[in-house]
Amino acid sequence: MMSDDLVEPVDTELRSQGEGLADQAARAVVAYRDGDRAPLAALVQVMTPLLWHTVRAQGADQELAQDIVQNTWLTLVRDIESIRDPRATLQWMLVTAKRAAWRSVRRSRDEMVRHEQDEHVTDWLAAPADDLPDTVAVRSERDRLLWQHVSELPDRCRRLLGLVALVDRPDYGVVSRALGMPVGSIGPTRGRCLAKLRVALASDPAWSVS
Amino acid sequence: MSTDERTLALVAAGGLDLDDRRILNHLAELVERADPVPPGLIESIGMALTIEAMHAEVAELHLVGEPALAVRADETSIEAGTITFTTDVLTVMISVHAEAGRVRVDGWAAPAGELSVELHQGGDMTSTTSDSDGRFSFSDIERGPARLVLRRPSEPTIPIVTPQIEL
Repeated sequence: MMSDDLVEPVDTELRSQGEGLADQAARAVVAYRDGDRAPLAALVQVMTPLLWHTVRAQGADQELAQDIVQNTWLTLVRDIESIRDPRATLQWMLVTAKRAAWRSVRRSRDEMVRHEQDEHVTDWLAAPADDLPDTVAVRSERDRLLWQHVSELPDRCRRLLGLVALVDRPDYGVVSRALGMPVGSIGPTRGRCLAKLRVALASDPAWSVS
Repeated sequence: MSTDERTLALVAAGGLDLDDRRILNHLAELVERADPVPPGLIESIGMALTIEAMHAEVAELHLVGEPALAVRADETSIEAGTITFTTDVLTVMISVHAEAGRVRVDGWAAPAGELSVELHQGGDMTSTTSDSDGRFSFSDIERGPARLVLRRPSEPTIPIVTPQIEL
């Protein structure tokens, strides 16, 4: 159980930090406990896309992903009094969503194997650009090139870059940790995944001229 | 260490620059376009959290009979339809009428009495009070998923909530 005396120093500390999602989440949790639900409602707007893609990157289908994301939010408010450190909220939610997705996907994949079905469910960001629905995603040659080079990265790197791309710098570390990637894999240095992409793009003549 | 490996290590140890941010921004666009958050998800999360915030003491109203006529959000056929919800303490009947691209909801609650009636749609809430006969209405309402929350003056802390319906 969270004791009130811990809330205040956290809140004071937050004011001196840059505003990332993790900070916004921390303030929303503190406000919610004080009876103000508006900051959490605002957080739902800005954080749901990140949760969505985190869950999708684990291979959850659309319907399953919607349930998991909604449940992650419900779990947060049900357990909100017991969060010891509100600053850990973002990471906690990403990990919760990722684990729930991973469990469900593994379960459904076991079933699929029994049904002898294909298992192309984890191909997040890996589908060939030509297979994307009606080039909704790929509008230009530059889109296609970037998509192609990202597709060719190892699975872990695709997930890391695809999710880190959705947040601002203060949250890079949180996203990396939530994905189980070593701390510092992106920021302050580039890290190997982003380096791989940079090297691949730099050696593609089509990228540099387009 | 091969040349490739050495180059990679060197680039990896470099600080993030503007080009990195541009590439990541571009990638974010692709991710969001290729697999957008489904429409309505954020609203339904908002609604679920609102209901959750009312806490455990919620009496669920159950849908009675065939909802198909009234609750399908079919663009072409939002005919007037009637839905009945019931619980031990309250029965609510509502009818939904199309009204110039939006809808009007007329309702009636029994036992008759003045109730506070809220219509929740995503994060938005419209409220009204039923008259002494238990009648209430909402006009000029946007289509989409919605939920009614009714509160009795006798037990204001136990709201009565309908399942989500599609107006």
